[in-house]
Amino acid sequence: MVAQVTMLDDLRTIVGDKHARPPDGSQRLAVDGMNPQAVVEPGSYEEVGAVMRYADEARLAVIPLGGGTQRHTGNLPARYELALSLSRLDQIIEHEPADLTVTCQSGISVQELQRRLRLNGQRVPFDLSPRQQASVGGVLATNTNGPSRAASGALRDFTIGMRVVTADGRITRAGGKVVKNVAGYDLCKLYIGSLGTLGVIVEATFKVMPIAACERSVTLRVPGAWDACALATELYRRGLALSHVQLSSTRNDRDNGWLLEIGLAGSDGAVERSENEIASLAPGANARPASAGGSATERFSSEDFDGSSLLCRFSVLPTRLAAFIGEVQRLETPDIVAAPATGVVRAAWPETDEAMIVERGREIAASHSATCVVERCSPELKQRVDVFGEPPPAFELMHRVKQQFDPKGILSPGRFVGRL
Amino acid sequence: MKRSSLIRDLEAAIGRRWVLSAPEDLLVYEYDATIDRGLPEAVVLPEDAEGVAKAVRIARKHGAPVTARGAGTGLSGGAIPCEGGVVIVTTRMNRILELDPENRIAVVEPGVINLDISHAAVPYRLYYAPDPSSQKACSIGGNVAENAGGPHCLRYGTTTNHVLGLEIVTADGDVVWLGGKTADTPGYDLTGIVVGSEGTLAIVTKVIVRLLHKPEATITLLAIFDAVTQASRAVSAIIGKGMLPAALEMMDKNTMEAVEPFVHAGYPPDAGAVLLIEVEGLKEDTQEQADLAASICRDLNAREIRIGLSQEDRDKLWAGRKGALGALGRLAPSYYILDGVIPRTLLPTVLDGVYEACERFGFRVANVFHAGDGNLHPNVMFDERVPGATQKVLDLGEAIMRLCVDAGGSITGEHGVGYEKRNYMSWIFSEDDLEVMSRLKAAFRASESFNPGKVFPTSKGCGEVSSRMRAAIARVGADAYV
Repeated sequence: MVAQVTMLDDLRTIVGDKHARPPDGSQRLAVDGMNPQAVVEPGSYEEVGAVMRYADEARLAVIPLGGGTQRHTGNLPARYELALSLSRLDQIIEHEPADLTVTCQSGISVQELQRRLRLNGQRVPFDLSPRQQASVGGVLATNTNGPSRAASGALRDFTIGMRVVTADGRITRAGGKVVKNVAGYDLCKLYIGSLGTLGVIVEATFKVMPIAACERSVTLRVPGAWDACALATELYRRGLALSHVQLSSTRNDRDNGWLLEIGLAGSDGAVERSENEIASLAPGANARPASAGGSATERFSSEDFDGSSLLCRFSVLPTRLAAFIGEVQRLETPDIVAAPATGVVRAAWPETDEAMIVERGREIAASHSATCVVERCSPELKQRVDVFGEPPPAFELMHRVKQQFDPKGILSPGRFVGRL
Repeated sequence: MKRSSLIRDLEAAIGRRWVLSAPEDLLVYEYDATIDRGLPEAVVLPEDAEGVAKAVRIARKHGAPVTARGAGTGLSGGAIPCEGGVVIVTTRMNRILELDPENRIAVVEPGVINLDISHAAVPYRLYYAPDPSSQKACSIGGNVAENAGGPHCLRYGTTTNHVLGLEIVTADGDVVWLGGKTADTPGYDLTGIVVGSEGTLAIVTKVIVRLLHKPEATITLLAIFDAVTQASRAVSAIIGKGMLPAALEMMDKNTMEAVEPFVHAGYPPDAGAVLLIEVEGLKEDTQEQADLAASICRDLNAREIRIGLSQEDRDKLWAGRKGALGALGRLAPSYYILDGVIPRTLLPTVLDGVYEACERFGFRVANVFHAGDGNLHPNVMFDERVPGATQKVLDLGEAIMRLCVDAGGSITGEHGVGYEKRNYMSWIFSEDDLEVMSRLKAAFRASESFNPGKVFPTSKGCGEVSSRMRAAIARVGADAYV
């Protein structure tokens, strides 16, 4: 292991004096309480490559960082010597509106990218409300999808190309810039959700979509989860102009049942008709109009929510969603948001016996053939449990993939499934 | 004839009836819809994953390469056997194991025919979206291997966007599940890697597919233009306006001339190009989109726009498009189907380049393709019997692929790399890019056992096939289309 002083000197020769520093004590770089010896901010892909070659040589454990909003995800890092910040790689490389594609660097914030695309009436169909500073690269590495997935697809569906710096510092390309492309293995799929364990994403190309002529939302309060899910299913079955449907319940408000937030997008006529059909279906589900304020969706996307101690994400078959969230709700009343079309559920608990909740939550998940990932918990719990649960059936293959892509184990070591 | 120990082992494991080794039986399996061929040593038809796994283990023991084969309709040589290898045919694995209309998923075996999934889902008003040309004949296993597309992929995406999970047999002969029925499963997205891997990483034995609700309304428009340039400008304008039709297809003059005598689609003899535009969704949206598309086409001097609302009228408008390939087959003894992709804004210029190149090489070309996503399919007509013609048409193909790559596009949008285009891979990927891809082969331990010689330019070929790269000529039925 190189001494910190030497490391900083070496890194500064690559990125310049200003862009390699020791941590400033703010915990901004901390991952599960661990702080690196240095943070480096490369200003080009070549510099990222040089930093990785240096780390490879010196066997430094590197964690790539974007906006830093998802540092709580993943298992405890086995080691963490170098924070590789992508914040300086924040440019839009190419946006030809008429091609409906955009290429940007991974350090750009989702918010900034969307702001720029909006000037042309377009957007990338990312999650509804990413944290202010969440970066494109971070969203990709953590595979953060939202309730709009059923209508607009997940990251794996609209990401068509990437540039990735390998563990040994080579700048490589995956996919391309055209919307249809089957040349070679689709490596973008592999990097999405790989949590910085296979390479450093430095650039991405997305399909963009036009912002609809008319966007509105309807919020209903529905007493029963079954009724709420059945109503949502019917809306999708009718093919209404839905941009997203999200079900939520907050711990302080559980006696009032569920909030059903329905996003509508399309032509004026389609949105208007959708609203009318929702209004006519609502009484059958005992649903009544409500205000959207204070919903779990808002809470889940707010900054102060970062204070919650335990956050789990479940994925369940849509037909089992109502029963499933009912059971989860009885488990010390978490805040819950759920997407009825995809069956993805997130539940958050405040200060609590997190080990017990995780164990019970996993039992409930198992009984519904659901998957469960702990998105946030204390480092203490992470020492005892794998946040991804039991290794998946293909774990052996995944292990070999990791060995192939990162033979020295320097990229976010320990953080992935099965502590890869 | 004395049977080899490989064949005897396969017969003992799979049953004698399901192992073919007589030369006359093997002939049927030596090619797909391309013209390359390779004679395997044995063809096996297992009935389940365990049978596939047994065959893979036996082949491995004997050092024989394995090629998986569905219906053999591929257009890049993915199912062409390696000389002396084993072909595992999935024809007997053709059951729809589960159809869950409420969760909108189906679990199917790889030999199930693409269109049969949609047929089975009719009672629930659901369907399977990817619709490759050979939909009536091609198998879902082959679709997964090639990440097959089709006209409606413009709006709904290709095979990879509709597969949630796979059961695979690895080169070690293990049966492993990737992904699953739920939206998220922890771990690397290996499903996304195996889809489109052209049989080089694993053999797929079960597929979990997503089904979509049938749209409430569909409107098909046929816009007739005097010149190709006008039609391609209309494509760019439609996409540029932010419209995302379900399908946006183009046919040029040569295609129409070939089609008209057989399909009687009513194309004016002097028209330069037609666009088929299909919009789907709620009837309010559909009408608005159809009106917008029509007005864009009129602004760009479409001489006539026909509108199909009923299923019957829509089928009529599609008839010419669907019959195109079969009709082209009557114009020349052979034709070479190309598959390249370009950014949609460059359609007018690249298409000009394609015509120019064909003229320079002295071949007639008919363009019939997925214009909406910039996926070109120039069909070059030639006569294989003319000495040198095949090489010349291959050179033309290469020149056209160059045009696509120079425009910032790709060498294949839906047919795959296979043998045909493996040497073009280095045009769009660096050595490092390809080396990273090859790490997946190593991780799957499939390097020399599954479909060696395909996809990668640097791989060793498998015997005779690689040494005689030849033009791909469609041997598809009259009702097929690209």
